[in-house]
Amino acid sequence: MTATLSRAGPVRRAWLPVLRKLGTSLAVISTTLLGLLVITFVVGRMVPADPVLAIVGDQADQAAYDRVYEELGLDQPLPVQFARYLGDVLRLDFGVSHITKNPVALDLARVFPATLELATAALIIGTLLGVPLGVLAAVHRGRWIDHIARVVGLLGYSTPVFWFGMMAILIFYARLDWVPAGGRVELYYEGIVEGPTGFLVLDAILAGEWEVMRSALMHMLMPALILGYATTAYISRMSRSFMLEQLHQEYILTAQAKGASRHAVIWKHAFGNMRVQLLTVIALAYCGLLDGTVLVETVFGWPGLGQYLTTALFFADMNAVLGAVLLIGLISIGVNLLCDIVYRMLDPRTR
Amino acid sequence: MIRTTTLIGAAMAALMAAQALPALAKTPSDQLVIGMDMSSMRGLDPQELNQFEAAEIVANLYDRLVTLPADDITRVEPMLATSWTVSEDGKSFTFTLRDDVVFHSGNPLTARDAEYSLRRLVKLGLAPARDLTQWGLTAENVDQMIRATDDHTLVVELPEVWNSDLVLYSLASFSTSVVDSALVEENIQDGDSGRAFLQTADAGSGPYTLRTWRANDLLIAEAFEDYWGGAPAMTRVLLRHMPESTAQRLQLEAGDIDIATRLSSSDLDALSGNPEIEIQTTPGVGFYYIALNQENEILANPKVREAFRYLIDYDGLANSVMRYYGRMQQTIVPAGMPGALEENPYSFDPARAKELIAEAGYPDGFTLTYYATPVTPEYEIAQSIQANAADAGITLDLQAGDHIGDFRERNYEVFSARTGERLPDPHAVLQSYAQNPDNSREANLAGLMAWRAAWDVPAELQDLVTQAAHETDPARRTELYTTINRMYLESSSPLITSFQRLDARALRGAVDGYQGHTTWITSWHDVTKAE
Repeated sequence: MTATLSRAGPVRRAWLPVLRKLGTSLAVISTTLLGLLVITFVVGRMVPADPVLAIVGDQADQAAYDRVYEELGLDQPLPVQFARYLGDVLRLDFGVSHITKNPVALDLARVFPATLELATAALIIGTLLGVPLGVLAAVHRGRWIDHIARVVGLLGYSTPVFWFGMMAILIFYARLDWVPAGGRVELYYEGIVEGPTGFLVLDAILAGEWEVMRSALMHMLMPALILGYATTAYISRMSRSFMLEQLHQEYILTAQAKGASRHAVIWKHAFGNMRVQLLTVIALAYCGLLDGTVLVETVFGWPGLGQYLTTALFFADMNAVLGAVLLIGLISIGVNLLCDIVYRMLDPRTR
Repeated sequence: MIRTTTLIGAAMAALMAAQALPALAKTPSDQLVIGMDMSSMRGLDPQELNQFEAAEIVANLYDRLVTLPADDITRVEPMLATSWTVSEDGKSFTFTLRDDVVFHSGNPLTARDAEYSLRRLVKLGLAPARDLTQWGLTAENVDQMIRATDDHTLVVELPEVWNSDLVLYSLASFSTSVVDSALVEENIQDGDSGRAFLQTADAGSGPYTLRTWRANDLLIAEAFEDYWGGAPAMTRVLLRHMPESTAQRLQLEAGDIDIATRLSSSDLDALSGNPEIEIQTTPGVGFYYIALNQENEILANPKVREAFRYLIDYDGLANSVMRYYGRMQQTIVPAGMPGALEENPYSFDPARAKELIAEAGYPDGFTLTYYATPVTPEYEIAQSIQANAADAGITLDLQAGDHIGDFRERNYEVFSARTGERLPDPHAVLQSYAQNPDNSREANLAGLMAWRAAWDVPAELQDLVTQAAHETDPARRTELYTTINRMYLESSSPLITSFQRLDARALRGAVDGYQGHTTWITSWHDVTKAE
């Protein structure tokens, strides 16, 4: 008996921590999501909008009102409504949206790729411009490039994106006619490319529809540049301060003293050490972009997650709100998990 | 440094590439593009929806027994029915239907489909069901009252005699659209009468078929080549969700959309000087109103109610925010309908209002809470009234928010908003503004404006409204409505009307034949565009 146990011992000891860690992670994730749903549900019920009136119209008589009120399940006590919703979610049924009349899962599968496409483009722009700009500003501290970076950062930080959006439309659409005003693609190309990924540019390439792809790219240009600029501002300011912090470390002096080139000091030694911090900032920026950038989506008529969630909130479309919030929660958790994994690859101390 | 230059260079190159691309195509001459705010659309089931934008779409996907031309909304014209007769006792309508109509599915349209659709409307009992239930049809009696006697004959019977025009107007409403009964039956899920299916699908015979609908994004309708009235000129009608008024204006000016709807007052002003743009206003069956809750002791005083009529800056509003949104009117019958009066006896006079409230016993004024919805132009009107009331010694604590629910439950003091009915007849307004059979709280007649204002409408006025709806002689009806109109004005009603509503749209000059419809059934069939 003892022999068997001791023989099984090492195996169990090796598996236990992994299992325990997995269990803890799952518990944390499900508690987070549950908390998110509870808060959203309660807040959603406090929104002073009546979903019934939105359906029947304000002239409707009481009988029609009561009928829809019951159909929406609003006659049930709140805990019962919530329990029913949770039960459905566990069976992966997210209900039907009152506004679109589609299953919420179907709606999300439509609006999320639009946001993901735009957010990814903006993040690429923001990272490619922001990181070098921030690093250069730190290295040339107090010189012209630093001043330029500061102005770029300040403008990007302090100007609301919808203002940039409106200005861009006024100048580049209304005056110069270089870019389209809004939407994901020229109206006449709608419906030519549908699926499989939901990323219109990619789908158009897959389908070989070059005109559609060009139109989709042109439609993405302004919103992606504006969001990309706001992201550039954020990332460049953060990169600058991370780089400054590294440049003041003693190991930099050591590296310089041992005759390492300037390029190697900055990009190999200093940059290598700020990668983990930078990654956190970029991940945060990505999460922010993925939550849906309501203002830019509204200005450019971009049918994404932000617009979907806002409309749903305004009209108390609870199934849609809860579904969207759940998705955002999952995205945040997913991006954070991804970050954790990359940390481990980059930073030996976290292993 | 080299890297920076490369990056800047790449960015410049991208911009140059963008410049080099040719200007994007404007709307083709065989397609109509309409910008609209779709956020209040809730599905496309004709027997369930009760919403302006969705009604226009459904009106073009489906046909009805009869229709009303946009330029003369009181003239009933044939649509699916080629002719109809009214029995001598006035209770029975017999319609003869066309025999050349097919649904988009290919199924032939018969009187059975019409019977199915009208019964469905009544039995579902949702918001638009009132179009028929107000004439005495119920879920219990509708199977006997509405019946197809053969494939081309439909009989509609009513328990009482009503003015036949009223009944025919109802049968022109989008809610009585004829659905493809076989197709709907195939798509019933869990006994839902096909509601889930019809919300997002098209089971009609109208001039357009539904190609794509993505809520709050885009709707594409395609011409139905086999339409019995001839295929429409526009091969596609594209509706794009554009909640921003400014975005609609810019795209209209640039020619990317042909029609802009729900524009703000300032954008309409900006467009009014543009020779390429036509601004079209369509009168609605409804009013901008102030409601004074009669459960409040101060407001129950007739002199106080009268005073409020002097606090509205009629001319000032008419020349500013209301220029495109309303037509000044202080009486209760909309212009152009039987019994309408041209006179507007009240004028803006805060001094007179001050006198009246002093006579009412409030020489030092009073304080009341005022609810208004923060949307244009309702909120601008509320702000103007609040300022004018202050001049007369009345403090109105203006609270912006969605208070329609409070108004329906009588939980307010002063409230203002606007109404919109669809029946082109004085009865549509009066049955709500001037009828309240039981004013008790328990009665909960929340659908009636008069009940919401807790107004115990004089019995004589209520009787006249009922009488006028039953009256079959047109001359006598006009006489009755004139009397009612005067009586309403003299009763100093707590539902004070100031402007009849207008719905404004802006159209590019090339668009012809698009005429906004008072009863929401704007047709796309005859729209053409100049090259």
